[in-house]
Amino acid sequence: MEYRTLPKKRIASFVTGLLKEFKVYGPVKKDGFPMYGEITSPKDLYLLHTPTHLSPKQYLFPQKETLLRFKSGANPPPLSPSGGGQGEDIAPVVEAENQVLFGVHSCDIHALRLLDRVFAYGPPDANYLRRREKTAIIGVDCMPDKYCFCKSVNTTTADSGFDLFLHDIGSGFIVEIGTQKGKALLHKHTKSKKTTAKEIRKIVEFKNKKAELFVAKINAEASTLPLIYSGSYFSPVWEKIGKICYGCGSCNHVCPTCYCFDVRDEIKANLTEGERYRVWDACLLEDFAKVAGGHSFRKTRAERLRHRFNRKFQYQVDKFGGLFCVGCGRCIRTCLVNINIAEVTNELIEESNRRR
Amino acid sequence: MKNKQKPKIAFFSFTCCEGCQLQALSCEDELPDVLSLVDIVNFREAIDEKRDDYEIAFIEGSVSRTQEIEEVKKIREKAKIVVALGACSSTGGLNCLKNRFPMEEVKKIVYGDKAKKYKHLDTIPARPIDAVIPVDYYIHGCPITKSEFLHVLKSLLLGKKPEIPNYPVCVDCKLAGNICVFEKGMTCVGTVTRAGCSAICITYGCICWGCRGLIDNPNIEAHEETLKRYGLTAEGALSKFDLYGGWERHGEKKQ
Repeated sequence: MEYRTLPKKRIASFVTGLLKEFKVYGPVKKDGFPMYGEITSPKDLYLLHTPTHLSPKQYLFPQKETLLRFKSGANPPPLSPSGGGQGEDIAPVVEAENQVLFGVHSCDIHALRLLDRVFAYGPPDANYLRRREKTAIIGVDCMPDKYCFCKSVNTTTADSGFDLFLHDIGSGFIVEIGTQKGKALLHKHTKSKKTTAKEIRKIVEFKNKKAELFVAKINAEASTLPLIYSGSYFSPVWEKIGKICYGCGSCNHVCPTCYCFDVRDEIKANLTEGERYRVWDACLLEDFAKVAGGHSFRKTRAERLRHRFNRKFQYQVDKFGGLFCVGCGRCIRTCLVNINIAEVTNELIEESNRRR
Repeated sequence: MKNKQKPKIAFFSFTCCEGCQLQALSCEDELPDVLSLVDIVNFREAIDEKRDDYEIAFIEGSVSRTQEIEEVKKIREKAKIVVALGACSSTGGLNCLKNRFPMEEVKKIVYGDKAKKYKHLDTIPARPIDAVIPVDYYIHGCPITKSEFLHVLKSLLLGKKPEIPNYPVCVDCKLAGNICVFEKGMTCVGTVTRAGCSAICITYGCICWGCRGLIDNPNIEAHEETLKRYGLTAEGALSKFDLYGGWERHGEKKQ
């Protein structure tokens, strides 16, 4: 692992340098709360932030994006139920620009690594992957609030998935070099110093200090959670939380690893041209699992919650080899009825222990 | 392109401010295209012509007079498709506020001493048009959004079912990147209100008052609990629904 040291005051000039080449997105303050937003000046950056409302996934997998534009050349036109007419023109749309995600926490870095696998799986998702290719990720160390439980799912630190990672050591930042791309950016846009062994020890000190600060936790080894969930399909917990759940989908939308989307067509008023776009969808919403004819595979909120929790701790793990909950705590903070994924998991662990 | 087979559409307006029609009229970029696809045969706010051979009727406003019941029924008989246009028409809207007070009191509040003089001010409890006739599609909102109006119209012309959101405003808020109203120390009813408005009120610093009506299967009990937890009494919590949700909450009961 390679390190460089950056005095605090150089962060501003580093960001200014990046802004010449990239769109830069990072934590900013909105209505007094930390939120990801576009950085237009180093002053915008709110670097030592608690977790943001939405995760940085929105810059790789935006809330809404156009996938293709179509135009029917046939006359009279409209898209007939039997399919396309003659002379159709369909053009894929991939919008991606060079961008830097600045100040990403390690939980979100883990989440983006998972999304990288998801969008490369099966038919590769051109829109995500192209954008990913053009994205540099600069991580930053953080302190947990009362909802963070990354320690329980082993995402408190990241050893890859970033181009640079900033460790705050008071007098400055130790910059951990993750990739050659990151190294080149650092050298191009700022001057850094050689890092001393004493400084590196400070990273370890910080990590140790941080480890003691977690309030929320899951009471079992992360590796045992898929098994616990697989035995909890009929747990009474689902009915209990289903009763108080709004089914509003906020937990899905703030989740850094939820990636479901709906694909829709919108045609212009001339009824001959239009676009196909995708928009975030959420498995907690009532119509998510509704199919043609009106049948719903998960009618109740309890079923939908169970499905989401299983996606985080069991189903996706089997498919992609890693827990899909990174412990960021966002779904807990956003839930108006206080459904707490860590506490629910602990209840399941307790039930599972009683069964043994 | 002249096409004699163009579908004929009509706009009608009952008890309302006619702001939703104005929204339709202000789709200026799209109107030339729209007019090449349909014939508008009845639209008091926009044209002099008044014909009754329409296929699609957009009805704005709630029903609040006996004669309006008959008029709405007539429209239903003539139209193949009836679309409720806006909150007054689709959920009863603001007009239903008056249903909770005695008629005489309401008249006096609005018209003062003159109230007694005018017979035509006597009204029945305001109600959404689907309390009188079957409605095929709903365009919600106070006012409607232009994009949703166009989406419904285009879908009908294409023979597709319009996609009207059945999820709460929380979704639109998250997509817009808003900070939750509750976190900012206020309360709203967006958690149980039908989305489709891009959470415009919250985006501009207000709260959601529920103008688009409830989602199909709202967890009202959960919402009452939430509002209580955020410092409202049970009645205070429920009254949050009264601005737009009077019909859904009270119906004719309190007349």
